[in-house]
Amino acid sequence: MAATTKDEGRRSSIATAMGAGIKIGAWNVVSLAIALAVWQLASVAVASPFFPAPMQIVDAFIQLATRGDTTGHSLWEHAWASIERVLVGFGLGVLFAVPLGLLMGLYPKLYAGTRSVIEPFRFIPPIAWIPLAIIFFSGLTRFAFLIFLGAFFPIFTSTLVGVARVEPIHRKVGIVHGAGKLWILRHVVIPTVMPDIMAGMRVGLGTAWLTIVAAELAGGISTGLGRMMTNYAELIMVSHVIVGMLLIGLIGFLMNEVLLLVERRLFRWRWQVSL
Amino acid sequence: MDAPVAPPKVEVDASHRYGSLTVHEELKFRVNANEFVCICGPSGCGKTTLLDMLAGILVPSSGHVLIDGMSANPKKQSISFVFQEPSTFPWLTVAENVATGLKIKGVPAATIRSKVADIIGIVGLTGFEDYYPHQISGGMKQRVAIARAFATEADLVLMDEPFVSLDQPTREHMQREVLDIWRRMKRTVIFVTHNLEEAVYLADRVLILSAKPARIVAELPITLQHPRDPLSAEFTEIRSKCVRWLHATH
Repeated sequence: MAATTKDEGRRSSIATAMGAGIKIGAWNVVSLAIALAVWQLASVAVASPFFPAPMQIVDAFIQLATRGDTTGHSLWEHAWASIERVLVGFGLGVLFAVPLGLLMGLYPKLYAGTRSVIEPFRFIPPIAWIPLAIIFFSGLTRFAFLIFLGAFFPIFTSTLVGVARVEPIHRKVGIVHGAGKLWILRHVVIPTVMPDIMAGMRVGLGTAWLTIVAAELAGGISTGLGRMMTNYAELIMVSHVIVGMLLIGLIGFLMNEVLLLVERRLFRWRWQVSL
Repeated sequence: MDAPVAPPKVEVDASHRYGSLTVHEELKFRVNANEFVCICGPSGCGKTTLLDMLAGILVPSSGHVLIDGMSANPKKQSISFVFQEPSTFPWLTVAENVATGLKIKGVPAATIRSKVADIIGIVGLTGFEDYYPHQISGGMKQRVAIARAFATEADLVLMDEPFVSLDQPTREHMQREVLDIWRRMKRTVIFVTHNLEEAVYLADRVLILSAKPARIVAELPITLQHPRDPLSAEFTEIRSKCVRWLHATH
């Protein structure tokens, strides 16, 4: 096959892929518009001060973003406080879960022998740790600890399961060429497990956000989106509570998109168009 | 038979058993440097065990497998392997896959680049360097695996039925290619196959293994000139001789 036809083939498939991307984007705009319209109609139909229309959320958002809340903290302070906690806790989760998952995946006896210690922790929801966390930790450490618990298991479990997917033949290619254990870990095991690690990270990120809001609602701090929402809930200012909710959804969504982007970059070998 | 002055490239004198199952019973043979040897045997004759012993990843229960007079050890000797099943790394490009063996051996990057380019040219994959395995055909993937095996200065290239999953025309094409690469690059090749025609087409010498416990039952030197014509009288005669020996093993 001539190089030119290959390139042309590639270019046209990229063009098709881009066309499909634009189409999907358009559909997302349409579904968003429909969701807003339904919301608007519902608020008109209900006509209650506790059921704000989309525009009232925008007003509340502008107010929080420009003038801050009743306690003098700006919306960005709240948002950043939550983001920082999530990033630290989630980062710690990745830092512990990936090596431990790899280690136990490579030495299944290690996992089999410690299962009874590890597995029960998986079923204690991070929220159930809040009372203890409040007693033992304060500030960032408390939240980092709780989010760590939430992010750890999804990442650990999918890494552990991923190691089992390593093809014996790939290991053997390394061994017959004289590779050591470390080479096989770096060049065979990790590339194989990477998609599972990333999938675990995306699930873990969801759990992390779930945990942070619950932990902030529990109180004891003055900033964080969860805190802000509780404050406004006490004042029965529904629009402001919804601003907090939507912002959590949006930040989580963006973080997930970043992970997806990294994934696409790392796994070019899976995404690239076939001949 | 020539009296070897230098020690043979490969010297096998080994028995192997898994528990009470004897796989190889005093399996003895030698392979000279730059020789192309095909090993044929009935299925279940322990060819995987034999190849693993030759690759140095399995130590025989008794006896020895020597390469250049030393026990086979993938960390010390340069041994390459072409497997029967697809063995390219899906996350690496064609060029990166071919470079794998060289990278493990710690060859400098510049040398790797030129060697990889050379061998990719020899196996006819020029232009596909940056493709991923899932983007190319099964035959091309197997060529990548062959290029990877020949890219290292392998003293010994072990091939485990490398063409069994290919269709007939691709298979014949690959046989010619392997012979061509072998002649150009001067390597010792041990090639396992169940296909006697393939063995007679490729080998300097064909070894016939018996069923378990496996021993060498026949050794047939083949002196026909390359390229060999599978329809010629001499070819057919050697092939029938191999068939008779193989049937005698049952």
